[in-house]
Amino acid sequence: MAEPHAETTAHAEHEHMPHGWRRWVFATNHKDIGTMYLVASCVMFFIGGAAAMVIRAQLFQPGGKLVDPGVFNSLITLHGLIMIFGAIMPAWVGLANWMIPLQIGAPDMALPRLNNLSFWILPFAFSLLIATLFVPGSAPAGGWTMYPPLVLQFGDSFPMLIFAIHLMGISSILGAINVIVTIMNLRAPGMTLLRMPLFVWTWLITAFLLIAVMPVLAGAVTMLLTDHFFGTSFFNAAGGGDPVMFQHIFWFFGHPEVYIMILPAFGVISEIIPTFSRKPLFGYEAMVYATASIAFLSFIVWAHHMFTVGLPVSAQLFFMFSTMLIAVPTGVKVFNWAATMWKGSLTFEPPMLFAVAFLFLFSIGGFSGLMLALVPADYQYHGTYFVVAHFHYVLVSGAAFAIMGAVYYWLPKWSGRMYDMTLAKWHFWLSAIFVNVLFFPQHFLGLAGMPRRIPDYAVQFTDWNMVSSIGGFAFGLSQLLLPYVVWKCVRSGKRVEANKTWDGAHGLEWELPSPAPFHSWTVPPSEALIARGAEH
Amino acid sequence: MEAPQQTRHTVRIVICPNCSLTLRGAALFFGGLCLFCLTVAGLLALRGMWPILPFSGLEMLLVGWALHASLARRYRAEVITLTESDVSVESRDRAHCLRTVFPRHWAQVKLRRPASPLHPSRLTIESHGRQCELGSFLTEEERYGLAIRLQRLVGRINESPSLALGPK
Repeated sequence: MAEPHAETTAHAEHEHMPHGWRRWVFATNHKDIGTMYLVASCVMFFIGGAAAMVIRAQLFQPGGKLVDPGVFNSLITLHGLIMIFGAIMPAWVGLANWMIPLQIGAPDMALPRLNNLSFWILPFAFSLLIATLFVPGSAPAGGWTMYPPLVLQFGDSFPMLIFAIHLMGISSILGAINVIVTIMNLRAPGMTLLRMPLFVWTWLITAFLLIAVMPVLAGAVTMLLTDHFFGTSFFNAAGGGDPVMFQHIFWFFGHPEVYIMILPAFGVISEIIPTFSRKPLFGYEAMVYATASIAFLSFIVWAHHMFTVGLPVSAQLFFMFSTMLIAVPTGVKVFNWAATMWKGSLTFEPPMLFAVAFLFLFSIGGFSGLMLALVPADYQYHGTYFVVAHFHYVLVSGAAFAIMGAVYYWLPKWSGRMYDMTLAKWHFWLSAIFVNVLFFPQHFLGLAGMPRRIPDYAVQFTDWNMVSSIGGFAFGLSQLLLPYVVWKCVRSGKRVEANKTWDGAHGLEWELPSPAPFHSWTVPPSEALIARGAEH
Repeated sequence: MEAPQQTRHTVRIVICPNCSLTLRGAALFFGGLCLFCLTVAGLLALRGMWPILPFSGLEMLLVGWALHASLARRYRAEVITLTESDVSVESRDRAHCLRTVFPRHWAQVKLRRPASPLHPSRLTIESHGRQCELGSFLTEEERYGLAIRLQRLVGRINESPSLALGPK
């Protein structure tokens, strides 16, 4: 029998890659859309960060006069909304776009045009949100939680806020649907569910959470809108409504939202630690089940955010114990990561540094979360800087550090170039030191009774506020290194020849050339490749 | 790829793309998702928070559409039928069916190696200046296997019946 490769085709071999502005505006390629998400997230991170700098400058000493209290409250609100919906979530969606098709052997996302739409909604949503700073009657200043009746007191900015939230929600839902359909239907032959990388698993569960809770947020903000403009009384006590019901609905969305931001981080850490420990991940299946357990529990803990509103004792007990239960699957994860590192051949390149920092600092955030879960203790901590410290440990040294680790981990695969290790390590050490200088003193301030969301404070809180502000300025400045390192890498980084940038890396993405070609896995990978990548 | 159905004079090969989600799996997944989301929305509606329900309903419609659109590739298939005189290729999707017939005596099976290692090889049946691409959705190994099988069955140009099959 003749060798079937009889001829070499003469048809033009090119990447069919569009050029110019059309490439980005009409993008349907998952890598382009992923890049746009990541760039947008970086821009929003710095806009939200600029708001944080003003907040810390105002709080540097008591009696600060940098901004008036109304503007301060608006900045607090916008900082929260921008960082959650503009920086963290789009960064995860960007990473999902880039990595999920590469990791499951799919040629692209399942619904590429929908993917384009879900990205391009975001700039409009955030333009609308930021524009609220310039309309009469002040920008929204009731906090990112938008509790009525306070949020109903703002002028023209209120409907803009609601519309912006709707747009962000639509974008998130479209992104989540795309991720779910891609993972469910476009896995390469042989890529069974329990062979999928942990990043894909955590994103599948995250997408389910998004789909489950986003309509609840959409309904809640729509009811705010109708209460304000159409005379309904969903949350208006004078009309027979219940403002506390808003809190229930909001946190039914809000608590899973926290896991939406942190579960993909668990996935990234589960990729990085085995690579730089040169060992398979300890307890792969346990990690999958732990992630699913955390997702399930996230639906039955929402009222721990509202212990002080006057819940019945039985409800307080239920929500206290269900919240404490989350420590079990989270503990499984932390111990599995530690066990993966145990007796591994460890090296500490920037992704691993961020992963190890994540392990320690996220655990601190987890422990302070356990403290907040205790009803009697929460009566003391509620509404103080202790809560601010807790969620910043989870979201900055947790989610944001994992995103930075992911960027340093996959950047050589994306760009085909290696970044400046020294600068990246400087970025890590400055971030790791100053994030603690910034947020750790806030535990002390909270325990001493300093309330959150205030533009001024009593003099006994001065010292730790100064320390925190200095940490904030240094942390903020050190973040400028990240885009510089990426820019320098893309422009003039040393070319990476090998498919596998990191010798301990496993997974289908490392079987592709670096940079990953514009069209990848147009032919599904073989079972042998999949089996090699799935050596958990 | 389905096993060929072979009679004395006719061979039929059906190839279809990989879909990791079965119709039953999609139905179960979609049903479970609807059950969860609409139960939550329904319970909240009972507490007076009915505006959540239409958002949940709309979202489920969107999820259903997305699954439906993605599962459409499941209906794609290529049926290759070899008779003593013809080789026919039927390319089907949900709405269309395109049939191309080649005289078996003159038909050639060609697997073209790509110029770039990043690109897939291309398997075609050709005759009289016409060609029809087969199995673009197969893996390299599967396409290679199909090429060998078709070359055995169809034979070389001007070779009818295929000498590789031996005497009947």
